[in-house]
Amino acid sequence: MTMPPAGRRVAIVTGAASGIGAAAAAELESRGWAVAGFDLRPSSHCSFDLSLDMSDSESVSNAVSQVEQELGPVGAAVSAAGYYEMLPVSEITLDKWRRMLAVHVGGFVNLSRAVLPGMIMAGTGSIVAITSELAIGGGSNDAHYAAAKGTLLGLVRSLAAEFAPQGVRVNSVAPGPTDTPLLAPDSPWRAPEYLASLPLGRLTSPDEVALCIAFLLDEGTFCVGETLNPNAGAVI
Amino acid sequence: MSDRKDRSYPDLEGKVVLVTGAAQGMGAAHARRLAASGATIAVNDRKASSELTALAAELSSVAVPGDVSDPEQVRALVQRVEQELGAVDILVANHAFMTMTPFLEADPGEWWKIIETNLGGTFHLIQAVLPGMRRRGAGRIVVISSEWGVTGWPEATAYSASKAGLISLVKTLGRELAPEGIIVNAVAPGVTDTPQLEVDARSAGISLREMRESYANEIPLGRIGTAREIAAAVALLCDFRLSAIIGQVVQVNGGSTRGRA
Repeated sequence: MTMPPAGRRVAIVTGAASGIGAAAAAELESRGWAVAGFDLRPSSHCSFDLSLDMSDSESVSNAVSQVEQELGPVGAAVSAAGYYEMLPVSEITLDKWRRMLAVHVGGFVNLSRAVLPGMIMAGTGSIVAITSELAIGGGSNDAHYAAAKGTLLGLVRSLAAEFAPQGVRVNSVAPGPTDTPLLAPDSPWRAPEYLASLPLGRLTSPDEVALCIAFLLDEGTFCVGETLNPNAGAVI
Repeated sequence: MSDRKDRSYPDLEGKVVLVTGAAQGMGAAHARRLAASGATIAVNDRKASSELTALAAELSSVAVPGDVSDPEQVRALVQRVEQELGAVDILVANHAFMTMTPFLEADPGEWWKIIETNLGGTFHLIQAVLPGMRRRGAGRIVVISSEWGVTGWPEATAYSASKAGLISLVKTLGRELAPEGIIVNAVAPGVTDTPQLEVDARSAGISLREMRESYANEIPLGRIGTAREIAAAVALLCDFRLSAIIGQVVQVNGGSTRGRA
């Protein structure tokens, strides 16, 4: 195995091409991590990037092996890949339901399965899943998205309990509506009436979510199975 | 301090911080961590002590001893901080008082002393620092709750209730003050390596090492926390670049708390 560039710690960030993933990658790079960005689209601002579909377990496993070979042991993994879609429950087709779970839950499971053996061998590592305020509060027309993100909360707490004894910490961040391309310009989450209902009066910024992610990886060394909630006060 | 150069440390240059219960343990760690980010610190504890004076000297800070359960003393100590350093930008309410007694044997006087110190003291402090934060149009308030405020704990009725009360206080003030740019949150530490462990060990009749091990066995991470790790979470919530965490409880416990705050 080669050393990471200039002895830097190595992090994988999925969904790194835009939004929360891109902000997390930038924050981690600025703190000295070498970031491997995984996304359907190129994440060329990262030290290293691969284009792949997180719901495909073989691609994810190959990509993680490639990062380990090119950059060295992976110390951190951030699962931010995802998409948002609002639909009345009667319009959630089986295909849409499966795709939502495959990307959010499958993507996180695929990433965790691929990075855990290396982290266990090293006796240290940290994984962060990006879930959502909707996983906690629920929302009208959010059944499949909230189900997928809620599943992540249970998964994170269970993996945290299972792997903490081996030195691997698993945590999550549950942002509120965040100012990213996932929110269409006409999204109800951007409506002035909704923003006025938030104690903070504005959307969460991707940079704020990135600070939470970086905390859990860097200084949050006694946080295990915890969820940080940068949500502008949407769920208190 | 070399820590100050670390990119992950928020820039608190010029910010005035008041940390209560700072003579030892976690409070001292919060003060040191925030000083490392460049803040100017005022440290409080119930009484003047050599520990408090030494910490103040170490951090070039001001010691403002006073009993937080007494609103008059709180007003006076906050006024002293404002006169000597300026209005308080960041309050870290870390003070706590605890005794353990089976519920039916609990003395009502003791019950109220715990509530008045832990919950009442924080109420008085927030009332005293708010006008200054309002003048500045910004502020950060971090309240130290406890794992027991989330889970409850046998024979720690008043303490657990006071710490749960702090969680509701934080949720309410989080909502009430966020529109003014004053962000209120809590940290709920699990078992942490502080001088309180020696008290626990003595009452359990075992050595300090045995006490640490006995706690560590209950924690998925296999060890107890350090005061520095709790202080790191406090520092996150003091970061003025981060306003979106509001009225939340950050649980720092090595995975031991199986409950939502």
